[in-house]
Amino acid sequence: MRRWAADVPFWSAVPFVIVVAALAALPLSLRISPYERNLVTVAFLMISGALAWNWMGGYLGQVSFGHAAMFGLGGFVAARLMLHENPAPAPIAWLLGGIAAGVFSLGAHPMLRLRGPYFSIATIGVGEASRLLFTYWEEFTGGASGVSLPIDIGMKARLYWWALGLAALVVTASFVIRRSTLGLQLLAIKADVDAAADVGVNATFYQDLVMVLSGAVVGITGGLWASFFSFIEPADMFGFDRSIGFVLMSVIGGVGTVLGPVLGAVVFVLLRQFLLASYPQLYLGLYGILLILIILFEPLGLTGLGLRLARAVRRRRRAPGVVAAP
Amino acid sequence: MDRFVDLAVSAVLLAGLYATMAYGLGLIYGVLRVVNLAHGGVIMAGAYLGWILHGWAGLDPYLSIPLVVGATFLLGMAMYRVLVRHLPRGPAGGPASLLLLFGVWLVLRNVAYLLFTGNDQVIRTSYSTHALPLLGSFVSVNRLAVLAIAVVTPALLHLVLRRTYLGRAIRAVAQNADSCTLVGIDVERIYTLTFGIGTALAGLAGLLSATIFSFNPGFGSGELLKSFVVVVLGGLGSVFGTGVAALILAIVEVFAILVMPSYLTAAVGFVMLVLVLVLRPGGLFGQRVLG
Repeated sequence: MRRWAADVPFWSAVPFVIVVAALAALPLSLRISPYERNLVTVAFLMISGALAWNWMGGYLGQVSFGHAAMFGLGGFVAARLMLHENPAPAPIAWLLGGIAAGVFSLGAHPMLRLRGPYFSIATIGVGEASRLLFTYWEEFTGGASGVSLPIDIGMKARLYWWALGLAALVVTASFVIRRSTLGLQLLAIKADVDAAADVGVNATFYQDLVMVLSGAVVGITGGLWASFFSFIEPADMFGFDRSIGFVLMSVIGGVGTVLGPVLGAVVFVLLRQFLLASYPQLYLGLYGILLILIILFEPLGLTGLGLRLARAVRRRRRAPGVVAAP
Repeated sequence: MDRFVDLAVSAVLLAGLYATMAYGLGLIYGVLRVVNLAHGGVIMAGAYLGWILHGWAGLDPYLSIPLVVGATFLLGMAMYRVLVRHLPRGPAGGPASLLLLFGVWLVLRNVAYLLFTGNDQVIRTSYSTHALPLLGSFVSVNRLAVLAIAVVTPALLHLVLRRTYLGRAIRAVAQNADSCTLVGIDVERIYTLTFGIGTALAGLAGLLSATIFSFNPGFGSGELLKSFVVVVLGGLGSVFGTGVAALILAIVEVFAILVMPSYLTAAVGFVMLVLVLVLRPGGLFGQRVLG
């Protein structure tokens, strides 16, 4: 993978903090409608989910088609904790949901020695099996009719900042992982597990670690999602489309980068909103065509496209000088 | 005891369909090392092709087999020439080919939605509800026909792979593509034909399923996963192993009804898929080179 993300200097933390602060002030200063605020909140949640997926799919090269299992588990554990007779405060419930999802991800340990398509196929199996089992477990997930949480308008508004906080945290974590030796070891595992093990990378441990972290963050995202929509059903939370969503966001934006999944998630949420409103009949196919084009022409997605543009601009700026020199 | 026989018979009938679904996936993976995620989409396309030919041209689904197989063969060759050919080979191409072919599947599904809406369809023939007494139970004529085709197809496939020049070339390419170029085999042509044959088998499976089950544009995802189970269980590229694996999956699924609610029997296949991948990645019968 290209070294772009690792080359991002430390001072880029300054614009990052400014952007986060501006986003945090957005609903207070500007008059944005609840509709717009909700859309941005969903984008924040998807950013967190996509980045966490990217730790597995991008950094480690283990493309998972089953992350919905952790999303759903986190969501339902959080929902059940909030519905308990002495309800847990929402943040605690989200956190516990994330922990449950993290522990569940540990179950993927034996699968992690599978590489490439074998791992992906196994995750499809796990994801679909979880969907069926959790839909069947009615005491926990409410079966086909789902679970409703008490509607709390104030909570829905506050979730904007919770989701922003989570997204900012996950972006920071993605940078830190990428820049650290951990990130390098993950890249080594991605390139060649055996070779990485030969130079002393504990591949088994790091794969487990990243899987648990990724699962936990996706689980927390699921918990916030449950609070945000006040109604969740297993067919949606554990659905294959949700797993695919995480994959699509990262691939559209740029697998393995930090900025990529962020961009991908924003595009995904906007595109989804626009398509579902205007052209619901083209919704699937457009993603399909996007996937095909990206894989064939620009494996780094939007990030790769941006880099290509930047290079072209730089070349053009330099070009007159080159011509002038004898 | 009666119930046992009934279940065993229906397991055998189901196994035929599962095996037909899986041959194509196994063939393509065996030769190209590409997991054809669009397999489910082609199964769905085969079902709709049969439905169109039956509904509009009044063609019996069994008579339309050559047409459907031909059409999906061309579709497969086109998919290879236009898309799959450009992917990086080897392990680096793994995730890329998965995502690319998943994209193809999404497009196929979307096209089906646009053309046929999301309504459930079914191919209903005059003999759809006929049944023959067999071993003390009644067996649908249609299902028997499907089983017969499911037995003939691998036999033909086996003959082609073993006896013809094309089959030998395909097996040679599966073993070592680089050496094949040295002895004058047009590897790209073999890849194209293999992808076409694999896809045509998926189309055939779709057509056969359409005579038994109802289908809609989302049809094929369960079939794809079951094909995975069969291919992984049977070991890649072994025609015989695929048949046995299909029988195992069908027996486990059918008999699971005795011990768990019918709703959960589909999960049995997924659990088996993961277990087999983790415990016996080479399949129950070990890896073999096509044939």
